[in-house]
Formats: sequence, C-alpha cells, structure tokens
Amino acid sequence: MKRRNFLKIIGAGGVGSGLGYLFGKANKPPTSELIPYLIPPEDIVPGVASWYSSLCTQCNAGCGIIVKTMEGRAKKIEGNPLHPVSKGKVCSRGQASLQALYNPDRIKSPLKRTGDRGKGSYEEISWDEAISILSRNLIALGEKDENDRLHFLTSLTRGSLNRLINDFMTSYGSPNHLQYELIQNKNLLFANNASMGIQTIPHYDIANTKYLLSFGADFASTWLSPVNYSSAYGQMRQGEDGIRGRLIQVEPRLSLTGANADEWVPAKPGTESILALAIAHLIVKEGHYKGADGAAWKALLSEYSPKRAASITDIAEERIHHLAKDFVKTRPSLAIGGESLARYENGVSGLVAVNILNHLAGNIGKKGGVIPNTAEPLTGKSTLESKNSIASLAQAASDSKIKTLLVYNTNPVFTTPNAMKMKESLQKIPFIASFSSFMDETTAMADLILPVHTSLEDWGDDFAEPAVGYPVATIMQPAVSPTLNTMGIGDIILSLAKGVGGKVKDKLPWNGFSDYLKDAWKDSYSKNKAMSASALTFDGFWNELLARGGWWPSERANGKAVAVSPNAVESHISKTPSHFEGNESEYPLYLTTYPHSHYLDGRGANLPWLQEMPDPMTSVVWGSWIEVNPKTAAKMGIKEGDTVTVESPYGKIKAHAYLAPGIRPDTVSMPIGQGHASYGRYAKDRGSNPIEILPFKKDANTLELALNSTRVRLSRTASSDKMVKIEGSTRELGRNIVQTISPDKFNKMNKETA
Amino acid sequence: MILKSFALYIIIGITGIITFIIGYSINDYYSTDRTPVQPIEFSHQIHAGTNEIPCKYCHIYTERSRHAGVPSVQRCMGCHSIIKTESPLIEKLTSYWETKEPIPWVKVHNLPDYVYFPHKRHIRAGLDCKLCHGDIASMDRVTRVSSLQMGWCLNCHTQRGVKNGRDCWTCHQ
Amino acid sequence: MAGLLARIAERWNIHREPGFFKKLDHKWTMVIDLDKCNGCGACVTSCYAENNLPVVGKEECGVSRAFSWLRIERYVEGEYPDVKVKFIPVMCQHCSKAPCETGCPVYATYHNQDGLNVQVYNRCVGTFTCATYCTYDVRRFNWRTYKFEQPLDQQLNPDVSVREMGIMEKCTFCIQRIRAAKDKAKDEGKTVEDGDIQTACVQTCPTGAMTFGDLQDADSKVAKLAKSPRRYKLLEELNTDPSVIYLKRVMKEGPSKHG
Repeated sequence: MKRRNFLKIIGAGGVGSGLGYLFGKANKPPTSELIPYLIPPEDIVPGVASWYSSLCTQCNAGCGIIVKTMEGRAKKIEGNPLHPVSKGKVCSRGQASLQALYNPDRIKSPLKRTGDRGKGSYEEISWDEAISILSRNLIALGEKDENDRLHFLTSLTRGSLNRLINDFMTSYGSPNHLQYELIQNKNLLFANNASMGIQTIPHYDIANTKYLLSFGADFASTWLSPVNYSSAYGQMRQGEDGIRGRLIQVEPRLSLTGANADEWVPAKPGTESILALAIAHLIVKEGHYKGADGAAWKALLSEYSPKRAASITDIAEERIHHLAKDFVKTRPSLAIGGESLARYENGVSGLVAVNILNHLAGNIGKKGGVIPNTAEPLTGKSTLESKNSIASLAQAASDSKIKTLLVYNTNPVFTTPNAMKMKESLQKIPFIASFSSFMDETTAMADLILPVHTSLEDWGDDFAEPAVGYPVATIMQPAVSPTLNTMGIGDIILSLAKGVGGKVKDKLPWNGFSDYLKDAWKDSYSKNKAMSASALTFDGFWNELLARGGWWPSERANGKAVAVSPNAVESHISKTPSHFEGNESEYPLYLTTYPHSHYLDGRGANLPWLQEMPDPMTSVVWGSWIEVNPKTAAKMGIKEGDTVTVESPYGKIKAHAYLAPGIRPDTVSMPIGQGHASYGRYAKDRGSNPIEILPFKKDANTLELALNSTRVRLSRTASSDKMVKIEGSTRELGRNIVQTISPDKFNKMNKETA
Repeated sequence: MILKSFALYIIIGITGIITFIIGYSINDYYSTDRTPVQPIEFSHQIHAGTNEIPCKYCHIYTERSRHAGVPSVQRCMGCHSIIKTESPLIEKLTSYWETKEPIPWVKVHNLPDYVYFPHKRHIRAGLDCKLCHGDIASMDRVTRVSSLQMGWCLNCHTQRGVKNGRDCWTCHQ
Repeated sequence: MAGLLARIAERWNIHREPGFFKKLDHKWTMVIDLDKCNGCGACVTSCYAENNLPVVGKEECGVSRAFSWLRIERYVEGEYPDVKVKFIPVMCQHCSKAPCETGCPVYATYHNQDGLNVQVYNRCVGTFTCATYCTYDVRRFNWRTYKFEQPLDQQLNPDVSVREMGIMEKCTFCIQRIRAAKDKAKDEGKTVEDGDIQTACVQTCPTGAMTFGDLQDADSKVAKLAKSPRRYKLLEELNTDPSVIYLKRVMKEGPSKHG
C-alpha cells in the first residue's frame, strides 16, 4: 500500500472515531435516571423483599401461599409454611400464577361489544358506564318480573365470595347460581354422602398409610389437593418410622402417580369399579370383614367373583386375590378413587365401590385411612346443594329461558363437548356479561366484559376442601396494587347491588368487598369460640389472620364415626362396566382424557412457564398429543410425532402421536387443556382439545359430564405442525443413572441401621 | 486506476464507519458525564455542608438495604413547605409536588446490573460515605470522584483484607 | 533453584486440591431422595421464577435450547404391562473436580470458597467449552438475547442478572439466596444455621424429596442424609465428585407381575 493511502485510511479512522464520540455524547442521555417516590410507602424498603400471605386460586385445593414482593411488584410465590394444606410447598401452577398477574394478554379495561357476537370487536368503556349498563339490564329484567331469568355461572367458589354471590342472587330474586368445574368433585361428594352420609370430602391420610390402593387418583398432578397429597406421599415413602408405604395404581393409562407406583394394574377402561368390588367380594368371602352385617355384604357382593371380574377387567384372577390380601392384611391401608374412575358415565358407582373397600378393610376413621372432616364451621355450606349442572344451563339457554347470564372465572365453551352445543345455546341468550381477566372462549361470546383482578391483587377467603381432618380457612389479601384498570369480583357485585338498588342494595350495603370480608370474619369471630379465645379483640385477631394467612385450629377434633351400610350403597353400584360410545369394529380404541398437570382444565394454558415446562410423562412442550401404545401404533404404522386424526362418532381432531408404553394397547389417551381458539397469544391455536369430540354423556346421579365415554379410531394424516419434546431417549442404556434398590434390601438395610 | 481508487475510497469509508461505531460505543462505556446537570440545581454544599444535615437524614435506606435511597419528594417538602418557599428553585420543587410527579434525578453513580453492591454492608462495616463519594459536603453539583471500575473496588477490598473480598460472586450477581 | 522447584511443587499441589482451597467455608450440598421424588416438576417452574430464566418458545425448544437449569429426566423400562418409570431431577452437580472449570479460557467458571462451581456472566465470552466438557449437560447457552414480554418482565428477580446473548449459564445453587442468608446472619451477629438457606427448588418440592445444607456441618440434615446406605452420585465413575447426592429409588428389580 502506498504511504499516502495508508495515511488516508488512518485519517478516515481518526475522523470517524472522533465524530462517533461527539455524536454519541450529543445524542445519548447522560446516564439513567433515579426516580424517587413521591410519597414513600411505609412497608416498602427498596431492595428489601416484603412477604404477604395469601391464597392460591390456580386450582380448588385452597393452598396458602406467601408472595415475595419488591418495590410493589410480585416476584415469587412460595407455600405458606404455617398452612396445613400447602405446608410451605406449592406446585408448578401455583408458581406460575405470577404470570397470570403480569400476563400481556390481560383485558385492560371494561369492554363493550360493538360488532357481531363472537367476532371479537369491542370498544373500551369506563367502569361507571360498564356498571350502569349491567345494572340497567338487571333493572329491566326486574321490571318485566323476569328476575329468575338471570343466571350466574361461576367456577367453584367458596367462603365469603360464594356467600356474597348467593346474597346478591337471592335478594335479586333468582335461584340460579351455578358453580361449574370440569374437574369437579361433585361425584365424589355425592358418593361419600350416599355411602357414608358425610357432606364433605374426607381427609385421606396418605402420609400414614402403608398400602395405598389408588383407582385412577392422580394425586401427584391434579387430584383434589395435589400439594398436600404430594407432601403426604413423601412421608409415606420415606417417613420417620422407616416403614415404606406402597402405592398400587389401577388405571388404563399410566398417570404421573401411576409412574411412581410400585405396581400398575392396567384394568380395562370403565371396569375399575368391578375390580374394586371383586376385591371387596374377596375380603368378605375370606372372612376378613368382622362387622355384624357380614351376611348382607356377602349377598350384595356375591356376583363380583374374581373369576367374573378377571374376564371383565382383563386383570388375572390370582392378581385380584393378591391385591385383596395385601389390602386387608397391610395395616393401615387406604383406597382412593378419582380422575379416570370418577369420570366415567357411572363415576359415582366407582367411587362408592372405593368407599366400600375402605369400610370392609376397616380403614374409616383410622390413622392412615379415611378421616372424615367436620362440616366447615364458618358457613356450614355444602357444594351439593345445587341440583343443577352445566347441561341444565345449556338446556335452559337453548330453550330461551335465560335472559341475562353472568359468567365468572369459568369457560364452558371450551370445557364442554361440541355435542352439547354450548356455543349455540349461548347465542340464544340476549345478554351475557363476563367477569374475566382473559379473553377466553366464553368471554369472547360476551356483550359486556368486566375485567377482574387476579388473585394476587384481590381480597378473598377460602375454606379448603378437602380439609385436613380439621377445617382450614385461608385469607387472600392483595400482594400488589392493581396493575390495570380492573376491579375485584366482590367489588363489582357490590357496586352492581348499588346500581340495581331496592332489596339488593339493602341486603348488600357495603362499599367494598374488603369491608364485606372483614365483617364476615367479625361475625365468625364472635360466634366461634376457638377463634374468640385466640385473640382479645377482633382487630388483633384480624391482624394475626393476615399475618398467618388464615385460621385453623391447633389440633384435630374427633369427627363422628361413619360407616358404609350395604343398604345405602346397593342402589348406587352399577353391575356392568361403564359404557363407551361407538362400536368396537368401527372405533377400535377407548379414549380416556385427563386434566393436564399444568393446564388443568385449560386455564393454565396461557401462562408461558407452564407451556414451556415439559409434561412430566412425555416431556412434550407447547402442544398436545395423543398417547398410543407402541404395539398399537406399530400395527397402524404410526410413528412417534406423526400427526393423526382422532375420530369419534361425534367429531374429529388432529393430534401428534406419542408412543407411550404405559398405556393399554386398546386405549389411547389425551390431555385436556390445549386447543384454545382464544385465550391469549400463548394459548391460542396450540394443540387440540379432546373435549370437542366427546359425546354428551352425564353421570345419572350428579348430571356431571362423563369425560371417558367414547371410542375413537386413528388415522395418519399430514400436518405442518411438529411435536416438540425435550427428552431424547427414555431408555437408560446401561448408564445406571437412576439407581435402585429392591424393597427387600431396603427393609434389611433399615433393620441394620436401626 | 479509477477502479483502484474507488476500492480505496470504499476501504476508507468502511474504516470511517467502523471507527465511528467504536467511538460511539467508547463514549457510551467510559465517558459518561461525571457531573451531570440535575433537573433542579440541588446543592449538597448548602444542605450537607452549610446546614450540616447528616447524609442518612435523607438517604434513609443506607443501613437497611443495598440501595441508599433517593429522598422522596415528600421528604423534600417536609422542610421546604416552610423553609425558603419563595426561592425559584423551591418553586420548581413545589411544582413537582403539586403535579404529583417525581423528580427525574440524573444518576451520578451508576453500576451495571450485574454488580451486587450493598450499601448496607459497607455502612455497617463502619465506612464513611466520603470514602467513595468524596467530600459531598463541599460540592455544589455532585460529581463522581471514584472510577467505580472493578480494579478500584478490588484495591480497597485487598487493602482492608475483606473476607472473600476478591471472589467474583461476592460482588457480581 | 531447589527452593524454586519446591515452591512450584507446593503451588502445584494446592491447585491439585479440589476447588483450590485448603479449607472451604461451607460445602453446600443437595441431597435428593429419588424414592420421594414423584416427577411433578414444581422445582423446574420454581427455578424459572427465581432465576429469571427466559421462555424461548416452541421452535427454540425444538432445537434443544430450552433454558431449564433444572430438568427432570424420565427413564422407562420394560414394555406393557410391566412398565417402570423412574424420575431424576438433574441440575448442575457442582462437581468438586469439575471438568468445565479446566476448560474455560477466561476463567469465567471456577470454584469458590463455598464449594460452589460458579459462573461469572460478565466474564464469560461464550466459547462453549464448558458446556462441551460438562458431563451432565446442565449448561445453557444464550443463543440470542431472549425477550421478556412486557409486563412479564415486572416479575424478574432483581437479585439475579438477566443474561444476554453469548453467555453461558447454569444452576447456581441459588447463590443469591445463600448470599441473602449470610447477609441476614451477619446482621444478627450469627453464622448461617442449617435450614436458613433453601434453594428455590428445595423450598418448593412438594414431596420434600430435596434437602439443601452444609455438608461440613456434622449436625446438618444433609450430613445425616449423606450417610444413608442408599446414597450415590450421578455417574460417579467419572470421578467428578459432585455436590449433589442422590438416594436410590426403592423399586423391585426385574419384571414384576405382582407387587
């Protein structure tokens, strides 16, 4: 290079960097800014976390949580260590409720529909306008004397909010408050009431049992109170007494709980109740049952011989003998039933059979068995009260008997089968208002949307169901101030009461839900002796309540003795396996569906952490799949990741095939929760929703939907969408990664160390 | 020949652009303003110097948190609703207070996000504020006297024999 | 000359010691009881919440770029109906003789005086060496600067850096919690006691399968559990000497028709 050129380049470099420097200096703000508080909040020290006790509302277990906040923002959720249900622990869904609070897809202010229903065109309105639209609608109904044409559909609500809604509805003059959950406990409550005469779900003492016979109860992921049962499971396995409890899981598809079981009993779908009754038959026949009504039991159970059961359930006769012997000989033992068992068309009868087993083996009222809960002392309510179901609501709607529908925190359009025609029925309702944080499928049908606080911004309380042998009340207090232009559900109802006026206003004169809540607790405090004994004044009690996160007695009270009698259960036992729609030649495979451990009934699908979290059994992320036994798949030429059409007599959907050895060859299984048509950017158009293709079948006793009630056929199809899973191989390939020790060696080892 | 000189100018141009970017980012990294102009010409000299108000009267979180804390507008108004209310600077303050706006102070001491520096530990160890911030009481407009570079931190940690004072994760996060 | 050689030999021996320290302040250890673990994944979500792990989305997950510092591996044995499933949570094992530390050209990963294998983000230049050397595949690389959708970023933990493109990261045993506990103990004029520190995963584990503590403290829970005859370390034969101790799963060997 010539010297001159070199100098030119050097020169250009010098000028460039100089200009860059100056340009940067002129163009950039000097440094970041330091914004002080205008008025410093007393309880905030910047950089130091404050913790608030509250309540988790991601499922209905009623776990107490503590929320870490820094500078007024929620950072982390942990279990409340004092709380008897959560015991300081919290599951994935609970952790992720932070992302519901800070979700980018939250509805930011009240919305009024402008275009056609369901087309998603809305305009923002003010809260005053929203409340006045709704109250004018209710007043108009009242003027036409059509008060009972108002329906209020909510998720399972308990405690003060439930009382408030009931007060509102009764004073308005409508009996139609329906609590609807896809993952319901109504079947279990009904079965317990029918067989044991108790109106609450008992405490299943998994922690202290030594033989846990579970009929489909997936307590590690979704059944009733997963966190509480998981901690109990840990105790059962490696408790302080050193005797390891065993877990036997009866279900057609290996669930997460089943994966941890010592033994998997893959009974044919719909026949688990027959298996339970065959075990009961053996207990009585071999003289293990010592009650006075032995003869009656023998007569009742006579037709459930193991031989007959073996042919129905596809479980070998000797294995049934074996199960019966272990169940009755191992002390204490416990049988539980849920999920797949409870969601057949004869779900109640299966749960009754489980209660029979517990009674015959003498497990009721024993440590490590079934411990009945006393009725909840503060309100004494029972969720059994209502004989209505979502099916009757859909019927009423399609008969044009509903004029106005209020929906809170539940999504029936997503969680009911297409065969039920929920969406079409909703179209016939003249006015729908939805109280929701997110634009879910049902909210998308609403004429008026009133965005509510998430649980971390709102007040509330809850009475855990099932309780833990004694009642547990949890207080929900705002951990952060509302981030958007939203309102608490209780506050909305109270301001609605003011807008409607008349009797409703007289009944509900409170200004805010926090006052209502406090007064409700004041009332309980003055009535409940144990509460008034715990603090001198109500204010002291209230402060203590907020600090601890709730109220529960310090020890377990002795519940009344309960028993199962043959007469009571006779009418609830079904003699045949549960029915599946579709004939075997056309639709060769049973379809079982299960609530996904992260998305539950679909409500968790909009939280990115839960989408990214690999499914515990398959490690699939951001999508849904259908579990097929490798042998079945090989016969049909289906490979893992292939897209298949799942077709039932009621419709078809697409899903990716996942080859799972843990499923019966005659069964396929799909998780519920994906396949949203709306519900935010993380949930929308992801996977498919198996509920769509289910038949409209109900349990005769509770009118609840039966989720495991159809057969399907699979066929390969093409799709651009791919299944993504995190795991590579599921085989250890001799690397000895998860080392094991046999139970015999373990017991021997325990004796040596003791 | 023309082609050749064309290539040369391209090279010169590219060199210019690259050095421009370098210059721009150097400015960004190393040459932040040590004595930035503040939205209100607040004088530490008057407050901490002449009037001898202790540092911790306004920087209240010093002993409790990793942040020393800028005083809230309320704290300013605590005195200035009575004292010197007619001064133009205080009128500026009052206008912030009345419009309910916090004052956008400009940061003088800015640490990157990956640095964990707790004021609390240093104050509780008995260090004087002056050690890092200089003689604030004599500054009319605050100027940064320390480099706040890692070597400067480590020097002090080494001299004083701070336990684990040279471990990366003592000061990084 | 001989003196110099002796000094070199001495230094060499010091550096041969695990962690380069004669005596550690603490020896943070995690014990995981595989017989209690039910594979639910609460620990994984908790880790995401505590450590500002980004959500990368379906496409990135598909090319193995998911960020979970802690993962639950599942292993399946046998065919229907004799299927056995085993779960194991795997995170950085904080090896006392860590292969990753030997590789890093800029000394961004090293052993500290607490027996932790730590990663210094602002020193890392992203050579990927450590991840290649890692026996347990627990290191995660920021292939790009992942975005936290607003307002989800309001949840970010201010005690943990948000990492940028080109940085290697991994489980830190929640070092910010260790630091906070030490800080608190210092304020109260005490030393850290057993149970003061719980990492996010340990704290949330519903079954209580995980325990965290100081192995040097003979009275600590982990020290007691570490004496269990069920103890083993992951891929122990590779001599990495991990700080995570697993307790064997109790499980029938061979095919089992009956329990």
